[in-house]
Amino acid sequence: MVKITVNGRVVDADPTKPLIKACHDNDVDVPMYCYHPGLSPVGSCRICQVEVKQGEAPGRVVVACRTQPAEGMVVDTESPKAHATRRECLEFLLKNHPLDCPICDKAGECDLQDFTYEEGQAQGRSHEPRRPLEKRKSLGEVIVLDEERCILCSRCVRFFEEVPKKAQLTVSDLGSRSVISTFMDRPLSGNYQGNIADLCPVGALTLKKFRFQARVWNLVKMASTCVECSRGCSIQVETLRGSDVKRFRPRPNEQVNGWWMCDHGRFAFDHANAAGRLEGARMLEGTQLVQTPIEEALCAVRDALMGSKGGLVVLSPFCTVEEGRALRELAQRHQAEIAYVSPPPSALKDELLHTGDPCPNRRGLEELGIRGEAGETLTARLAAAKVGLIAGERVVELLGPERVRELPGTLALFAFECHPVASRALRAEVGIANHVERTGTVVNVDGIRGPLAAAKPAPRGVRALERHLQDLARLSPRRETAVR
Amino acid sequence: MALPKQLVDEFDELVKNYPERRAALIVALHRCQEELGGWISPQTMEDLGAYFGLEPVEVFGVASFYPMFHLRPVGKHVVSICHNISCDLRGAQDIIAKVCEVTGAPLGGTSKDGQWTVKHVECQGACANAPMLDLDGTYHEDLTPEKVAQLLGAVR
Amino acid sequence: MKAYETYLLDRAKVEGNHQLATYRRLGGYKALEKVLKGGLTPAQVVDEVKRSGLRGRGGAGFSTGMKWSFMPDVAKDPRPRYLAINADESEPGTCKDRVLMERDPHGLVEGSLIAAYAIQAKAVYIYVRGEYRLPHDRVAAAIQEARAAQLVGQHILGSDFSCEVFMHKGAGAYICGEETGLMESLEGKRGHPRQKPPFPAQSGLWNSPTTVNNVETVFNAPFIVERGAAWHAAIGTANSKGNFLCGISGHVNRPGVYELPFGVTAREILEDKAGGVWKGRQLKAWFPGGSSCALLKGADIDVVLDHDSLRARGSSLGTAAMIMMDDQTSMARVMEVIARFYEHESCGQCSQCREGTQWLSQIFHRIAHGRGQADDIDTLESLAKGMAPGKTICALSDAAAIPTLSAVRLFKDELIACIREQRDPLAAPAPKYATVGAH
Repeated sequence: MVKITVNGRVVDADPTKPLIKACHDNDVDVPMYCYHPGLSPVGSCRICQVEVKQGEAPGRVVVACRTQPAEGMVVDTESPKAHATRRECLEFLLKNHPLDCPICDKAGECDLQDFTYEEGQAQGRSHEPRRPLEKRKSLGEVIVLDEERCILCSRCVRFFEEVPKKAQLTVSDLGSRSVISTFMDRPLSGNYQGNIADLCPVGALTLKKFRFQARVWNLVKMASTCVECSRGCSIQVETLRGSDVKRFRPRPNEQVNGWWMCDHGRFAFDHANAAGRLEGARMLEGTQLVQTPIEEALCAVRDALMGSKGGLVVLSPFCTVEEGRALRELAQRHQAEIAYVSPPPSALKDELLHTGDPCPNRRGLEELGIRGEAGETLTARLAAAKVGLIAGERVVELLGPERVRELPGTLALFAFECHPVASRALRAEVGIANHVERTGTVVNVDGIRGPLAAAKPAPRGVRALERHLQDLARLSPRRETAVR
Repeated sequence: MALPKQLVDEFDELVKNYPERRAALIVALHRCQEELGGWISPQTMEDLGAYFGLEPVEVFGVASFYPMFHLRPVGKHVVSICHNISCDLRGAQDIIAKVCEVTGAPLGGTSKDGQWTVKHVECQGACANAPMLDLDGTYHEDLTPEKVAQLLGAVR
Repeated sequence: MKAYETYLLDRAKVEGNHQLATYRRLGGYKALEKVLKGGLTPAQVVDEVKRSGLRGRGGAGFSTGMKWSFMPDVAKDPRPRYLAINADESEPGTCKDRVLMERDPHGLVEGSLIAAYAIQAKAVYIYVRGEYRLPHDRVAAAIQEARAAQLVGQHILGSDFSCEVFMHKGAGAYICGEETGLMESLEGKRGHPRQKPPFPAQSGLWNSPTTVNNVETVFNAPFIVERGAAWHAAIGTANSKGNFLCGISGHVNRPGVYELPFGVTAREILEDKAGGVWKGRQLKAWFPGGSSCALLKGADIDVVLDHDSLRARGSSLGTAAMIMMDDQTSMARVMEVIARFYEHESCGQCSQCREGTQWLSQIFHRIAHGRGQADDIDTLESLAKGMAPGKTICALSDAAAIPTLSAVRLFKDELIACIREQRDPLAAPAPKYATVGAH
């Protein structure tokens, strides 16, 4: 570490990292387009110019992304020279950039727009027509490219070269004729395409799935964790005015996912938005499931578990640490056995992020002493039991909906699920909140804990599983008391 | 499809000149353009990518950077006329007009009979013998429209 | 007409000199022998060249010996070392290296080997622009001949010095004449200039210490080695030593490549060598060293040609490529052509250059075609100042800005007249032809 002065403040800086990082780490704003902390610096957009003094030499304006901090360096990001140079640079960047912010999905989170608002001249000086290029060029299933908006920062090109390490984009041609391009307009492939929409500092690369879906300033953003594999990428859940999820986006976390996430996780919000939820609770009356007060259903669960020896509690691997702990207690209290469903690995496993293990909290549940078993095994065990409790998001899906349906009537099956359960054995079911509706903790493959956020309210009458389990515990006499 | 064996043999020798194979890419692109129909086809880019261990898009990025590489088919003969300053001062525009007239090709395009592609190029380093053109890789200098008519007439 | 001692082009004038036998008969490879058999150490060669005052001929005019001395100490740095010869000659007006390569290719090979010995390079790459077929083939043939004669390869002339010389072709991109763009291109990539530092001597080709020298620069080395630094330093002016090659083009009677000592006046070249301005006209303007330096007015023709004198006039020697324009020349047209060139050749990395070269080109195009706007002159000046100096990764942006600023300064009235009249009074009649694609 070296000591440098940034805008009058002495700070520590890593001399192996670019100066711009030292500025950002110390909350000093320096604009950037080509620089990205997750990619190699190229220093081509030239917007991050700051004034630097070393020793007695007069101040020089340098690009902060290609300057190494050195002991005693004095940095002024706000000097008149630095401002003037950045303003000049901005004018060049805007020369061919269309004025279509009102219809641009990036508006509101666009680095070019923001910096123009801060620094730009209100009046353009150019009499020249802007470059007419393709406005809607499909780059495959995920991304659409607006060539006119592109400022050729090359982040997207470097992303494919450096992160998944397989080039898919290039800057083709040169100079003012440069455009971002795939080979012969081939569609992009792979599980990491969506990242380039996040990376794009302007609205050139947008997600097909987010196009015209929302103005970003109307999005409510909550820090959460992706549950689509055991990597547990740090994400941001973005809901439109607290209702549907519109985007999952990666949150920087150097320990887990860097700045990235896979498309499988990114677009896994249809599930979270899905209609047809199980609301409140339903109990079997005769041959019909009828809506009942939740408390009654919980009492039925309690009674069934109390009256049985050798009940079986089956968790979804989507259950949080907190839910796992509460279910373990419940099982212990009623001398029931407990296990979680462990589905087979997925083919999505790669070298980058996706672990291929669809269980987001396997490690957290294992740390609680709960073991995983295949859906087939667990349904067989359920079939042999008198009382079964299945709990957690997607538990039926992971056990196998067909197998659950065919569980025998000799079993009294109780379920905590997001969606209605179809089973001959079902006695009662209670609706629960999904992973964007409840808080909790999951532990990823490397033992790193990630939070879940309640980014949107659960449907009416639906509560989190943990809440139901608390109520259930309240309703159940303590085993210790009973023995004494 | 793959590169013809004779080119592969040639490239196998060429890459020995460099500590990294990729360095031979631009020279290899030249050879492909010379031997494989006067242009760099998508297939050629894929083949070169396979040869050099690059993605086709990387070969495309390189090929499209260099004005000498034609990424579209060209005519049987390619005429490149310098229109930079030393040539412009000595009548390059008249040379361009004459070439277009004689060949029937528009500037930047190919004649209908597929015989001629005519393009303008930046300084070719023949400034002391301006104006000039390059016909299929040979410089012709100190030109006048009359000389152009004669030169191209002889090719026909 | 004054007579001056010549040496650079003497052999080139001899028929058949591109072949080894003739070259040797004319004294070729004597300097290499002197170095390798005479026991000169690399450091001594560097020192000799430093003392000779030789400066680079590629445009920047940096001391060659000094550049060589920037290579890291071979004892402390085990990385392989390379010499790249910049034969990408693409600066408008410049056509001197071509003459050397076509007619004296062994001179280049010998010069390259001496330079390689001085910096202890294991290999030389001669990067020739792709359009230069004959020059390329001549140098390639010379290397083959030299290899067969033990002048290239292992144990050159039986000494401990081994060095390979390879040819490499560019493909029409001006920016590859910029030394770091050249290195990227030599590595098989898009010719995007690299940020400096690190300088090539620290980390160049394949992250190894590299020196990049122009053809004419290393071509001088054998003469200096053979005749001595003092001989070379006695020719020329205080800070510009030796003879140089001047390509003179444009509106003159005898355009050509001429050899002259530093210190001659531009008028001597124009009148004695090039036979004066053509058609009996007057000189209106000229570029002293390629299109990337500042324009000078015709009245400045008595300036002494050397680095300092041209700098004092606000221009530079560049590649000593004089482009001459007569009094009928439209400066709007000249700048339209020049600005279009830089737009065409910008690699497109840096925002100021990519957008700025296009913007300059668009404005000059409008002015030259009677569509100038009242604020164009101010905009040109302010854009050029936003593009330079030193605001971008390489100097191409500067190269576009410098002639622009000089044109706006020297020929403002003419440009304003074009804007005011909405036509260019000096425009030549435009011949008609069909165009497809841009421009």
